[in-house]
Amino acid sequence: MALDNKKLAVDYCGLKLDSPIVLLSGCVGFGEEYTRIKGFSNRDVGAICLKGTTLEARLGNEPHRLAETYSGMLNSIGLQNPGARVVVDDYLPMLDFDETRFIANVSGSTVDEYEEVTRIFDDSPIDAMEINISCPNVKEGGVTFGNDPEMSARVVAACRRATKKPLITKLSPNQTDIAENARRCIEAGTDGFAVINTLMGMSIDIEARRPVIGNNQGGLSGPAIKPIALLKVHQVYQECKAHDIPIIGQGGICNANDALEFIIAGASAVGVGTALFYEPLICKEINAGIVEYLEKHDLGNISDLVGTLELNN
Amino acid sequence: MNHPVTRDTINLEEASILSHDAFAGDQYYLRLHAPMTAETALAGSFVHLRCENTLPMRRPMSIMRTSEKEGWIDILYKAHGHGTRQLAQRKVGEKLSLMGPIGVPFKQNAYRQRPLLIGGGVGLPPMVFLSEHIRRTAKNVSPFVIMGSEVPFPFKSVPSQIMLAGIPEGTIAAMPLLEDWGISSRLCSLQAYPGCFDGYVTDLARIWLDGMDSQQQQDVEIFSCGPTPMLKAVAALAAEYGLPCQISLEEYMACAVGGCAGCVVRVETNNGPAMKRVCVDGPVFEASTVFPQ
Ligand SMILES: Cc1cc2nc3c(=O)[nH]c(=O)nc-3n(C[C@H](O)[C@H](O)[C@H](O)COP(=O)(O)O)c2cc1C
Ligand code: FES
Repeated sequence: MALDNKKLAVDYCGLKLDSPIVLLSGCVGFGEEYTRIKGFSNRDVGAICLKGTTLEARLGNEPHRLAETYSGMLNSIGLQNPGARVVVDDYLPMLDFDETRFIANVSGSTVDEYEEVTRIFDDSPIDAMEINISCPNVKEGGVTFGNDPEMSARVVAACRRATKKPLITKLSPNQTDIAENARRCIEAGTDGFAVINTLMGMSIDIEARRPVIGNNQGGLSGPAIKPIALLKVHQVYQECKAHDIPIIGQGGICNANDALEFIIAGASAVGVGTALFYEPLICKEINAGIVEYLEKHDLGNISDLVGTLELNN
Repeated sequence: MNHPVTRDTINLEEASILSHDAFAGDQYYLRLHAPMTAETALAGSFVHLRCENTLPMRRPMSIMRTSEKEGWIDILYKAHGHGTRQLAQRKVGEKLSLMGPIGVPFKQNAYRQRPLLIGGGVGLPPMVFLSEHIRRTAKNVSPFVIMGSEVPFPFKSVPSQIMLAGIPEGTIAAMPLLEDWGISSRLCSLQAYPGCFDGYVTDLARIWLDGMDSQQQQDVEIFSCGPTPMLKAVAALAAEYGLPCQISLEEYMACAVGGCAGCVVRVETNNGPAMKRVCVDGPVFEASTVFPQ
């Protein structure tokens, strides 16, 4: 094990993570892509979320799919994936489950599709499943479910029927009352939350007078969304703490300081996505920075810090 | 457990700038000290560069030349967007974070002795890399390089001493580096630059091909990099003459390791259409899969 620091070990929905860092869905393909880089190791993170997966293969959206923005980027991939069967049969056998925990990202257009994809992953070595009801880049399902607490709860309940493995619900920031949605998902049987997915945005090419992104709009990620994400984690945590439902805080985390802010706000684990594009070996630094902080503050384990935020009066 | 062979193939280097020279048309040559990348880069490989520390995304750049012995790589770029304009400000001695080499390189067919290399605009670098590679490794192969640009070429052209059958009189401008290597090249432009062919790269390629008999044409294969309309025309030309053709593509990139599927191009496969990642499934593709005729 590259990581043997007990301070970083966390129990997330019964999964033993060696580090609170989770690599985020859609940023790291199906778990092997970043190992192309010398010095990168899947052992440096607690878990890896695989790309959003639907029942049938999807080609995804037309290019361009990316645009840089101030302190962030827009993406509109449109859930390109080979379908759940292929992921389970051809991709999972390539993964080294000794290195880290792997989490599937379950996506779909109908409640039935979410349930079916969950069932397929249930019968596989995958460690947990994340229900993606917050993808802003598809016409059906995704965020249209995630922005409606009633639909969110129905999707969660359907997935719950299909598995006993840990279920993490990934919430959208593009909705009025994220805490209300969280409450409904807890009732429907979620074990954990991922907060937040990307925010919807647009970028325009002024010469062409057209959106830069082929699909016109995309999901905003990176440091630009961090303050929003932090507040959403704080709000969802208020619903979660009584039920002991852990959160993977995410949105623009680039360094140990960012990660610690999310943990103090109530996240038990922290997601890193867009920051990898800029600095592929950032997780080593974040781990080291967290350990340094814990030592300085005389804390035995990262979980001692979760939700320790004290509000001003 | 056997891990995939792709593991540990891309370096992350802090590359210091050895030289950085501006040319007309906002074009720049950048020489970077990146010994690990220089060692394993191949024609078609690219690097993913952090142009400036506050920009959230890196920029992919084709490699033009490498020296394994001296540990450098050369890049040619045009400052046209925010990132590349920032890059243009960076001075000799400063360091840039670089990932490389990345991508599937050009594959030469040993039986084709007359490679035709067609580069347009900032698509020149991979053609230079491939020329140097052919010069070093393939003794009986005589490539012909056609380059096109609508802004001044990023070098001072020379009149070619290497005569070529069928090339119009007056089309004599060549790239000095290639000329030094004994590789025939000709330049094209619609801007009436002296010595250049007045027309598109594909027009000159057609003249060259028509000067051969069909036996000789069987020895030709095409390699190309440049703007999309040019690549489309090159692919059509290759299809018309029944020649194999590989093209190198460009697309915005986030991860450049295959993780985000942000850089895709639509290709035709035996199983129908597919979206391939330009970063790791490419950047080099069979032209016929990207531009089916
Ligand atoms: C290129 C890209 C693709 C993404 N694809 C997915 C996806 O398939 N499923 C999903 O739940 N989230 C997806 N996301 C959202 C991320 O998992 C993450 O929640 C979001 O980017 C915020 O974190 P970050 O700022 O650290 O990237 C994607 C994000 C990016 C940048
Ligand atoms: S840039 Fe991420 S897959 Fe190519």
